[in-house]
Amino acid sequence: MKVTAVVGTQKGAFILRSDESRAEWRNEGPIFKGWKVTAVAAPAQGRVHLALASDIYGPAIQIGDGFSTSEWRQAADGPRFPPGDDRELDQIWTIFPHGEEIYAGVADAALFKSEDGGESWRLIEGLDRHPTRASWFPGAAGLCAHVLLSDPQNPDRLWCGVSAVGVLRSDDRGRSWTLKNEGVEKVVPDEEHPEIGCCVHGLAQDPDDANVIFRQDHRGTYRTRNGGDSWERIERGLPSGFGFPIAIDPTTKALFAVPLESDEYRLTPKGRLGVYRSRNGGDSWDLMRHGLPQENTYAGVLRSAVAVDSLDPCGIYVGTTSGSLHFSNDRGDTWRTLPHLLPRILCIEVFAE
Amino acid sequence: MARVTVRIPSLLAQVIGGVQRIDVEAETLKGALDQALKRHPELELHLFDAKGSFRDHVLCFHNDTDTRWIDSLDRAVNDGDRISIVQSVSGGAEDLKAVVGTGPTDEA
Repeated sequence: MKVTAVVGTQKGAFILRSDESRAEWRNEGPIFKGWKVTAVAAPAQGRVHLALASDIYGPAIQIGDGFSTSEWRQAADGPRFPPGDDRELDQIWTIFPHGEEIYAGVADAALFKSEDGGESWRLIEGLDRHPTRASWFPGAAGLCAHVLLSDPQNPDRLWCGVSAVGVLRSDDRGRSWTLKNEGVEKVVPDEEHPEIGCCVHGLAQDPDDANVIFRQDHRGTYRTRNGGDSWERIERGLPSGFGFPIAIDPTTKALFAVPLESDEYRLTPKGRLGVYRSRNGGDSWDLMRHGLPQENTYAGVLRSAVAVDSLDPCGIYVGTTSGSLHFSNDRGDTWRTLPHLLPRILCIEVFAE
Repeated sequence: MARVTVRIPSLLAQVIGGVQRIDVEAETLKGALDQALKRHPELELHLFDAKGSFRDHVLCFHNDTDTRWIDSLDRAVNDGDRISIVQSVSGGAEDLKAVVGTGPTDEA
């Protein structure tokens, strides 16, 4: 079995190869050197997709037949706001295959959909037409639609996380959206629309029940058991409710989070990199630190910079804003650090085949 | 028709398979750029904003002349002319938007 970790950074994507042991990794990158690689999509319809961004040249989607270091081509008609729309498409935050369709979440907050394998994209107007849309307020990373989930049993149901608005759910395949943030503490309360103002950072979904979702928010860590109709805090054992990523092992359903020291500082607490694991659906969390740097480590971990692979035992991959990559091949019990120093890590996806 | 060369910086050239030099025949600067875009339509969104102007930090030189300082791209070109796309970034900031003051792009 081959395992490929695609690491998107501020200065290109790095393709790391290993075998089932996931003990040693060989770097084949960078590809798109100098470009921000902001999203990596799971293979869909025989293709893979990368989102690029540049402060100079803007964003684009690249399509490949696999994660190799060559043979990429740019989507012919990539996500762009239509003429007359004064929003600037700053960054593509997520590319999400869903059946025969592929969705892209972008900043300024909007969703695009492709029905031809990622070649052409059109704006989904349902999110734009949300009655609170004019009051949406950006988080520190901008007003971004950065995470999407779907319900495999009900393809019409989608969830979208927008910072700093909250989680929205669609039950009609994106045509209309309803805010789903009851129980979640607001970051930017809005007088006119009290239902907005949540800053969702990350979402992870139960592989057996799509309506069970775990949420790393700006003001806490939460769980819903009813598709987002209500949320409850799940922070017992965490040093902080603030962090960005949350991920789940598809086999054991163990959860992984990387809390940071408050929204003021956004650094690893006390100079230690700690990954927290919950083996009871978020009821309590334990610190995993064996093999992780435990002193003089001051880094951040961004919302898409943690990945869990599909093997058993699962591998977990944590990339930092300092460019270090830490990985475990035993469900988080022990960790090693990749002997490479990469640019600021923005996103990681891992594929086994 | 004049034979001119459109030069693409290496970073941008990665989205068109590494092509850094596009030889075209045209009568004007605009005609030459149109020919280059016809050959590589992927470049359009990277060079121009929604209004059709060069992006804020994309410069275009006709030989040694910055096209920002000429009235129109309908300027005649001659055999051997160079049209160079240049990214106008100075300083050492990793995040350009922190320099130009349009706000942060990253969260941590």
